[in-house]
Amino acid sequence: MKGKAEIREFVQGLLTNYGDDEPLANGDSLLLSGRLQSIDAVEIIMFLEQTFGIDFAQIGFDKELIDSVDAIDATVQTTMNCKKE
Amino acid sequence: MAAQTKSHESMSSRLAEFRLIPRIETDPWTVSFAQTTLGKAAMLAAFGGGILVFIRDPLSWLAFVLGVTLITFLPARRRLILAVAPILLVVLQTFQKPLLLGLNLAVIAFGIFLYWCAIRWPKSLFGQRPVAFLLGGFSALILLACATAPYSLAYPILWDLVGLMASYLWFIAYAVSDRNSQPARDLTMELASFHPVWGSSNTPFPKGAAYLRRIEAQNPEQQAIVQLKGLKLLLWAILLAVFQVFWNQFFHGYLRIPLPDQALAMSVRGTPASWHLCWECQILAFFESILTLSIFGHRIIASCRMAGYNALRNTYRPLSATTLIEFFNRFYYYFKELLVDFYFYPAFFRYWKKHRRLRMAFATFAAAGFGNAFYHFTRDWQIIRDDGLWTAIRNYQTFLFYCIVLAAALSLSQMRRRGPMPVGFVRGHFLPALGVGIFYCLLNVFVTNERGYSLAEHLRYLASLFFIKF
Repeated sequence: MKGKAEIREFVQGLLTNYGDDEPLANGDSLLLSGRLQSIDAVEIIMFLEQTFGIDFAQIGFDKELIDSVDAIDATVQTTMNCKKE
Repeated sequence: MAAQTKSHESMSSRLAEFRLIPRIETDPWTVSFAQTTLGKAAMLAAFGGGILVFIRDPLSWLAFVLGVTLITFLPARRRLILAVAPILLVVLQTFQKPLLLGLNLAVIAFGIFLYWCAIRWPKSLFGQRPVAFLLGGFSALILLACATAPYSLAYPILWDLVGLMASYLWFIAYAVSDRNSQPARDLTMELASFHPVWGSSNTPFPKGAAYLRRIEAQNPEQQAIVQLKGLKLLLWAILLAVFQVFWNQFFHGYLRIPLPDQALAMSVRGTPASWHLCWECQILAFFESILTLSIFGHRIIASCRMAGYNALRNTYRPLSATTLIEFFNRFYYYFKELLVDFYFYPAFFRYWKKHRRLRMAFATFAAAGFGNAFYHFTRDWQIIRDDGLWTAIRNYQTFLFYCIVLAAALSLSQMRRRGPMPVGFVRGHFLPALGVGIFYCLLNVFVTNERGYSLAEHLRYLASLFFIKF
């Protein structure tokens, strides 16, 4: 669960930089809804690479994988499980 | 005193909530009414009347409105209608030219074949880099057409093929890159997204089938809301179109301020317009590009929403952008998405992973520099055909320069560490937005319709804006 909290904190930080103080639910769309921009997707990607060692060149990238806090967490969990196997 | 403050607050909150076009999609009664037969008919009548402003050809108008009507009353058949409609339109438009019709259908079939190959063999060389193969193959086709003798039988066929491939290229690119999305296997949606009935430029509006699946209305209420939003956007496009007519009449008709192409031509001929006219023309051109693109994009996205897809606007409040990258995102969203999807991300994921700044700059140059240049060079394939490859490349120097400057500026804009926004309207919004506007105003000097003028002539014109002569 620590992972999810970290992810949420990071995403909340990106939103705050835009002056976006709207409430954030874990399932809320971030990129496909236009709430965050492509540049923020890059920030999320780099955060996931550095914090969880995820390599999107290996797993294939789709914006839906990082479109919400839940989606990001699911991507992290799936990648971690694959690594363990 | 407290009552006075309260009154001020209430006034500013009322002002903030004011909408020229009311938010009818949030009103429960209107949403319920839009789900009834009468409500649907009323919406379709309003939409059909509104879209007449943009679609003048009666046959195209009738075909389009008929399609939207079928989708509105048979939402379960939406995908099928949208998949069949573009093919029917192709047949209707080209049935008198069998060769063109055959080539057109062959290009669509080829796109679907490539999509199938990418899904079928994801681990193959093609399956891993389908877009690179597609763009490489298209470049080879252009080279082959250039190498063909002008009076041979193959010449017109090859150039027709180049033209058709150019118009379908990015639609096919989205289809073959759909292999990563879930669920990927939906041929109907892929067909619906190849030059969809609501219109597009060579840039797919709104992206490909994977994106359409995500934004599709899932029930009658969602469809009603999306259609109401579409209707509102169409009205906004009409208002902007009317405004544009008055704008042009006032500035270019009454005040006789030249267009950028005219000002540049005068500068090249050695009879430059006065400095203030050049500035006025550049500033107007900046606003006019926003206005033109807004009308164009709003019309398409409004139609897309009427078909039941809640797509984001192509142009959304570009003047509120406080950074160069934000303006690029707000000005022409779907073109920016194309560059990001097909150039930025592939470069970003593969190269310079341990060098954060270099990685970002390289990916930005791949997208806004190389990708941007490649897109426009191949889009204008008629110039390559008419002038020859080398002349076309030589005459492309000014736009290439534009791409390099844009890429460099966007790289810097992204690298600047983002912190909390400065407080206050002037420091936080007005001054940054003014800086962004001035940058794009000046950069627009290098975006002209005339390719015959050299880069030096464009630079001379730019310098003349600052009283520098060379």
